Amino acid sequence: MSIEPGLGKSKRSTDDARGKPFVGPEDLRGYDPATALSVPGSFPFTRGVHRTMYRDKLWTMRQFAGFGSAADTNERFKYLLAHGTTGLSTAFDLPTLMGRDSDDPLALGEVGRCGVAVASLADMHVLYDGINLGEVSTSMTINAPAAIVLAFYVCVAKKQGVPLDQLRGTLQNDILKEFHAQNEYVFPPVPSVKLVVDTIEYCTQHMPLWNTVSVSGYHIREAGATAAEELAFTLADGMAYTQLSIERGLDVDAFAPRLSFFFDVHNDFFEEIAKLRAARRMWAHIMRDRFHAKHERSWKLRMHCQTAGVTLTEQQPMNNIMRVAYQAMAGVLGGTQSLHTNSMDETLALPTEGAAKVALRTQQILAHETSVPQVADPLGGSYFVEKMTDEIEAKAYAIIDQIDAMGGVLPAVDRGYFRRAIAESAQAEQRRIDGGAQKIVGVTDFVEEGTHDMEMLKISQDTEDEQVSKLKSIKANRDATKHQAALTRLRDDATQDKNVMPALIEAAEAEATVGEMMDTMKQVFGAYGGGPEW
Amino acid sequence: MVTLATEPMKMTKPINNNQPPRILLAKIGLDGHDRGVKVLARSFRDAGIEVIYTGLWQTCEATMYAALQEDVDVVGVSLLSAAHLTVMPELLRLRKKLDIEHIPIILGGIVPNEDHAALAEMGVAAVFNPGSSVDDIVEKVKQLAAMHEPIQFKEVVVGYKARKQNALAKLITSVQRGESLDGFTPPVGDAVVIGVTGAPGVGKSSFIGKLGEELVSRGKRVAVLAIDPSSPITGGALLGDRLRMMSASPEREFFVRSLASGGAAGGLAAICPDVLKLLKGFGFDYILVETVGAGQGDVGIRELASHTLLVLMPDSGDAVQYSKAGIMEIATCFVLNKCDLNGADATQSQLISAVGDARPIFKTSTLKTEGIDRVADFIMTLS
Ligand code: B12
Ligand SMILES: Nc1nc2c(ncn2[C@@H]2O[C@H](COP(=O)(O)OP(=O)(O)OP(=O)(O)O)[C@@H](O)[C@H]2O)c(=O)[nH]1
Ligand SMILES: [Mg+2]
Repeated sequence: MSIEPGLGKSKRSTDDARGKPFVGPEDLRGYDPATALSVPGSFPFTRGVHRTMYRDKLWTMRQFAGFGSAADTNERFKYLLAHGTTGLSTAFDLPTLMGRDSDDPLALGEVGRCGVAVASLADMHVLYDGINLGEVSTSMTINAPAAIVLAFYVCVAKKQGVPLDQLRGTLQNDILKEFHAQNEYVFPPVPSVKLVVDTIEYCTQHMPLWNTVSVSGYHIREAGATAAEELAFTLADGMAYTQLSIERGLDVDAFAPRLSFFFDVHNDFFEEIAKLRAARRMWAHIMRDRFHAKHERSWKLRMHCQTAGVTLTEQQPMNNIMRVAYQAMAGVLGGTQSLHTNSMDETLALPTEGAAKVALRTQQILAHETSVPQVADPLGGSYFVEKMTDEIEAKAYAIIDQIDAMGGVLPAVDRGYFRRAIAESAQAEQRRIDGGAQKIVGVTDFVEEGTHDMEMLKISQDTEDEQVSKLKSIKANRDATKHQAALTRLRDDATQDKNVMPALIEAAEAEATVGEMMDTMKQVFGAYGGGPEW
Repeated sequence: MVTLATEPMKMTKPINNNQPPRILLAKIGLDGHDRGVKVLARSFRDAGIEVIYTGLWQTCEATMYAALQEDVDVVGVSLLSAAHLTVMPELLRLRKKLDIEHIPIILGGIVPNEDHAALAEMGVAAVFNPGSSVDDIVEKVKQLAAMHEPIQFKEVVVGYKARKQNALAKLITSVQRGESLDGFTPPVGDAVVIGVTGAPGVGKSSFIGKLGEELVSRGKRVAVLAIDPSSPITGGALLGDRLRMMSASPEREFFVRSLASGGAAGGLAAICPDVLKLLKGFGFDYILVETVGAGQGDVGIRELASHTLLVLMPDSGDAVQYSKAGIMEIATCFVLNKCDLNGADATQSQLISAVGDARPIFKTSTLKTEGIDRVADFIMTLS
């Protein structure tokens, strides 16, 4: 077959809309605001998922945080809550993200450095200590071991006495984009998505307020995709989870309202707004017309957004505050439900407390001083933005058609379609930068000599040493029989293709570690070395 | 024209002195940020450099073993995980231990300025932070590569005879560079040379990686020549096979060398026979040669190898196409890989009718490590 990643390879995903100095009504062919836009809160939700949008409820200011030990991060969570953050978002360290214990040989030097180290239920108890899970909504950015971390979370809630049906939050749990972009896959694609469907099924039955998957374009975009590719790949992934859950026997209206989305807000201000608007319109049609969902809640695409880390620069790092502010505004004009703003020290290390605070303040200024949130979709009806919305939508549908023609997302993963497309777009962008066609203030232009003197967050090697010895003592002191029995049950359930959630919860309670549970599942599912690269 | 492996043993004359610079690009540890490293891999290729990318999640050992076997001009490490002060000292320690201190190591990624002095002190040749211009990086790599010292033949030949892999690696580089080997003639050896071919992406490299491990675990010495195309325009190349064979190590007598088809003037054909002579003379039991596509334009693999394994995958339609093109005839046996996928049985029956004789057909899955042992059993009957 000769389908190659070729679409969306131009500089932007919306060249047509910019072909002329201004756009007018004659450029919107067949434009019918009643069907294309409707009103906010109504199908196809182009203008937003709520009628009154931010008037009644501001977006959730959700700052991604995690570093060092569970105790360090717990302290940062409390700091953020004290400064007005309205939801938590947990960043795990690389060993945890890859399903390895802190004492794994490949974890050397990486424990607690890029996020918080969580190897066992004990760590999870410390992480959320003193934070009422019945009140604060919590998001957890984890994928291959997502089901295990969900099991830990369930155990912590039980201990706190919070009923499962009151838990609010989000598990990223989007393994497909790991194969495309983020590279935190462990098992081969087929068993990987089975685990996702297991969690969807479990949450649909026990945790109805929980967002089961955060279908993510963010990582796809940060890895290099264009806006149209980000949009198309993300929706295609969402469609794949929907299809698989239906095949599991779940009613689409029972789980679809709890799928959430996660997009990047990049530099191209209007294009990003158009992308978010198009995403809602496309998803509404896809859910209603393709999957025959009946409830309005299933048609609504709710999203979290994050500003684009990859646009931030090491050179003249204070400039990053401005970049983040513009991007944040695009996210709000695009109608996001939740937002993370990156810190100015993005290219140096995980953010310091001070830098994270400025990032949060940036959102608060946007929310409380600019009046931007006063009216829903203020750009709706702009010839330019509507034209862009149509254009990016058309491009994304064309890409989705290509994926369908390959037999869907999983076959396209096998062929390396996504990785190749993303890497080619990344390469094209690099060429534009090197060739002078794309300017970066402080890097390609307006360059200054000398280095910055920004403070940096340091994580000491002690974190790793302490975490490793704590883990060793857990392993030495737990009830070995109970532990062994739980892992045996996990292996059996996985082999018999049962939903593994109950077995994972039992294993968590028996103090099995993340690495042990992953290894047990690897015995059944196999390990994946990655798809075609070039 | 390709010379046969059975030709007289005297090494051929210098033919090429424009071997492009070779760089090994590595990601070490659990860091999965690969946007930068892949942008660089492509940019290097486009700048006429041969790139061996070893993929994600490598250990320091595997990386330095690869550098040794590939005898690259530069090792480039990309780290965005804040583990550089753990990883770099370890790499440098191994570089010393393996006696490949002539290979410079450069680093890029999230490396705070305040660490640069310490890194330079310990011996890292250059550090590139976010926002570095790719042109500057390419320039640095070319400059470091141009500084390589001429090979000391006498010493290297002694090392080769003592079966030191770094000596073997350097001699192969000499052949690539078209340098005279000072009249050195390697022993004949008695390796079995097996070509492994098949359409792009059927899993040849993954299969060779597993087969190599299996043979090594049976006490055999195994070498792999992995051949990928060069860019006809720039002469650079992305050599992607090795990333599926990262268990290779000098300690296990598992040697992998990546070659670019256009790397030598006159093409691969010009140097392949000599490289094979060196591998045979080194005393390997099996030499597996991976080439893409058993079609036109491919090196006459049949002439270099005494046996050919044709790798196929389910539902590829290759069997039918190959039998039309007459490619089926050259195979000693067939490996139907990726049998964990649907359609394996159907493809197997197609294959049986297309083959039409008693040549063996093996079903394997490198993903699940299934069926490899039976291929190894068969290989061990070949001579
Ligand atoms: C893009 C990105 C991602 C993408 C990665 C996509 C991909 N497949 O690569 C996504 C969104 C998936 C991601 C995820 C994560 N990320 Co991230 N990410 C970034 C970001 C924003 C940009 C990196 C990038 O690709 N830049 C573009 C490329 C072209 O530039 P580059 O890699 O820097 O390469 C240039 C130079 O550095 C140099 N170079 C790089 N490598 C090499 C090698 C050689 C040999 C040479 C010569 C030069 C060289 O040359 C290049 C050209 O100039 C950085 C912050 C930043 N702005 O730098 C954070 C950052 C690296 N990420 C970070 C973290 C913590 C993570 C996560 C762990 C978050 C989490 N807890 O979930 C995960 C882990 C993912 C994983 N599997 O490892 C941290 C690391 C912290 C630290 N080191 O102390 C950073 C610094 C952000 C931050 N401040 O928190 N991330
Ligand atoms: N499902 C499955 N995938 C496999 C198997 N073996 C390899 N693959 C995948 O197939 C893809 C190609 O594998 P390679 O080993 O690079 O294939 P190749 O034939 O050497 O490819 P080229 O050298 O590019 O022609 C990778 O994504 C592998 O993960 C297998 O047994 N089963
Ligand atoms: Mg290969």
